[in-house]
Amino acid sequence: MPSCPAGHDSISADFCDICGLAMGGVSAAAPSPTPSAVSAENCPECGEARTGRFCEGCSYDFVAGAGRTPAVTAAVAEPVDVSAPVPGPVPILGWAAVVSADRAHYDAVRLQDGPDAADIAFPAYCPERHFELTGQQIRIGRRSRSRGLEPEIDLTGPPADPGVSHLHAVLLSQPDGGWSVMDPGSTNGTTLNDDPDPIKTDIPIPVRDGDRIHVGAWTTITVRGPGSA
Amino acid sequence: MTAHPNFRVDIYQNEFLHEGAHEVNAIVTVSSDGSAVSSTMDASAAAAEVIIVDCSGSMDYPRGKMIAAKQATSVAIDELRDGVAFAVIAGTDQARLVYPQQGGLVRADARTKATAKAAVNNLKAGGGTAIGRWLALANSLFAGHRDAIRHAILLTDGRNEHERPADLAATLAACEGAFVCDCRGVGTDWEVDELRKVATALLGTVDIVADPAGLAEDFRRMTAAAMSKAVADVALRLWTPQGASIKFVKQVAPEVADLTARRVATGGQVGDYPTGSWGTESRDYHVCVEVKPAGVGDVMLAGRVSLVLGDEVLGQGLVKATWTDDMVLSTRINPEVAHYTGQAELADAIQEGLAARKTGDLDTATAKLGRAVALATKSGNTDTAALLAKVVDVDDPVTGTVRLKAKVSDVDAMTLDTRSTKTSRVRKSS
Repeated sequence: MPSCPAGHDSISADFCDICGLAMGGVSAAAPSPTPSAVSAENCPECGEARTGRFCEGCSYDFVAGAGRTPAVTAAVAEPVDVSAPVPGPVPILGWAAVVSADRAHYDAVRLQDGPDAADIAFPAYCPERHFELTGQQIRIGRRSRSRGLEPEIDLTGPPADPGVSHLHAVLLSQPDGGWSVMDPGSTNGTTLNDDPDPIKTDIPIPVRDGDRIHVGAWTTITVRGPGSA
Repeated sequence: MTAHPNFRVDIYQNEFLHEGAHEVNAIVTVSSDGSAVSSTMDASAAAAEVIIVDCSGSMDYPRGKMIAAKQATSVAIDELRDGVAFAVIAGTDQARLVYPQQGGLVRADARTKATAKAAVNNLKAGGGTAIGRWLALANSLFAGHRDAIRHAILLTDGRNEHERPADLAATLAACEGAFVCDCRGVGTDWEVDELRKVATALLGTVDIVADPAGLAEDFRRMTAAAMSKAVADVALRLWTPQGASIKFVKQVAPEVADLTARRVATGGQVGDYPTGSWGTESRDYHVCVEVKPAGVGDVMLAGRVSLVLGDEVLGQGLVKATWTDDMVLSTRINPEVAHYTGQAELADAIQEGLAARKTGDLDTATAKLGRAVALATKSGNTDTAALLAKVVDVDDPVTGTVRLKAKVSDVDAMTLDTRSTKTSRVRKSS
């Protein structure tokens, strides 16, 4: 009698009769991007996995190396998108998302009085960032080298919103050209506009021009439709 | 056993789960083609039919109702294939056998059909309504015909006033699996929830026939559908891995019907859900299973779905789960699953909205019915959208911005309620 990877005896030869695991050497059909594809590097100071130029654990500068010398000259790969604050409204042609620190959302989160809410400060400086929405899906989250995850809308910061999950939400392109937002099961949930209840996980909700997607402790992503200012 | 129709089982799902995820959703499309049977139909597919006609006093008001019910019953009798065992029951606060006057079912032929129609023609209205007693009599008539495809038609115009709800519930429990019953409410004095309970328990449909003039055609269609069934007592068998729990098993097309509680365990990891009789048709089921997450890269069978007749497997499909750290794969939305999740929510939103409207909770009613309009619009369920538009004024069908109509006829509200479970099917992209 064949036995499955977990050691159960099974009469069926395709999947184990007991636990359902694929029998004998059937492996994932899906190509799974392994973390080894990107250079796995750990911080020499604190051991945290490298996710960008600066260590998330202790701000060690991987580019400048040794110590925390502020590297002013670094024109090298700067992964954090700190595009300058946009002076005044600029016309947007396609769909776009504008990420901003939102005082009203921050206040609403603090009012809910979560266990860590009191420890989170509203960032003193956080320029608005614009992302064009193109392709089939746009992930919102914080990048993680160890999980091979680089969300298109990367909220790693600085400033870092500690309430944002690595994969927090996904914007999905709709057949009609519009977009919808889906929360694949973030830790703290995703809310829309003034609705205090988080959206249901795994269910895409269509969004329209001007809709505000709230994630984390103070981050609001405003959806801009085509042609809007 | 003789040849049974071929059952084809197709599974639609996104089998990729992100690390640690444990909920597996799949739409199971079951199609049976009656072709294997049509040639031997007369010989193999024995059928039994009982028609139950409400003869309570209210059937005389308005006058046309009783006349229409008699005509419809006659049309249904005409539609019976020769050789089908049948009977007609008159229902009041008692159940009375109209034809044959005693004994069990009678084989249909030109003579018995004519006698039955004459007996039906002499029916008079008078008395109360006790649906459970009617069904109990039907159940006893079917008792000797376990090998046949057993079907009943139940027509009523009023509430089940002359027995306690508990009595009806007990009768329904006794009748489950004994026969399939399609229910029709005529007029607007009957209770949608009550008849839906009967139809759901007995795996049949429920509908409103607001205008008695429509009864005959409706009866003809129901009987023809019953005559086209080729196999009875088919069950959906679901195997799940050890430690898994079944969140729900629902029929989602052509109507929503939750089968979760109907599970009959046939083994430690196996349970059967009744699906009734099948002709040449196709139905969709939504299966949701919670499994213990395996490691990234592991492939697991989360469910083995079979259509069974006794212990004979007529068709089978596999629901799988594959854990991956590729978010592009795991966040992909399966259109079938998304569609039917929406259709089930649509049915709930309508029923909750109408219930709130009845109790005067207009804010909830507006919110729920607005949500229903948005869901119906998005999913292309134009029939339901049209019914909703008779109950609410729609300002924006996309966002579901609606206002409750000040005046809504009982017919429109009840039609919407009864048909809330009708779903639109996914447009298959292939």
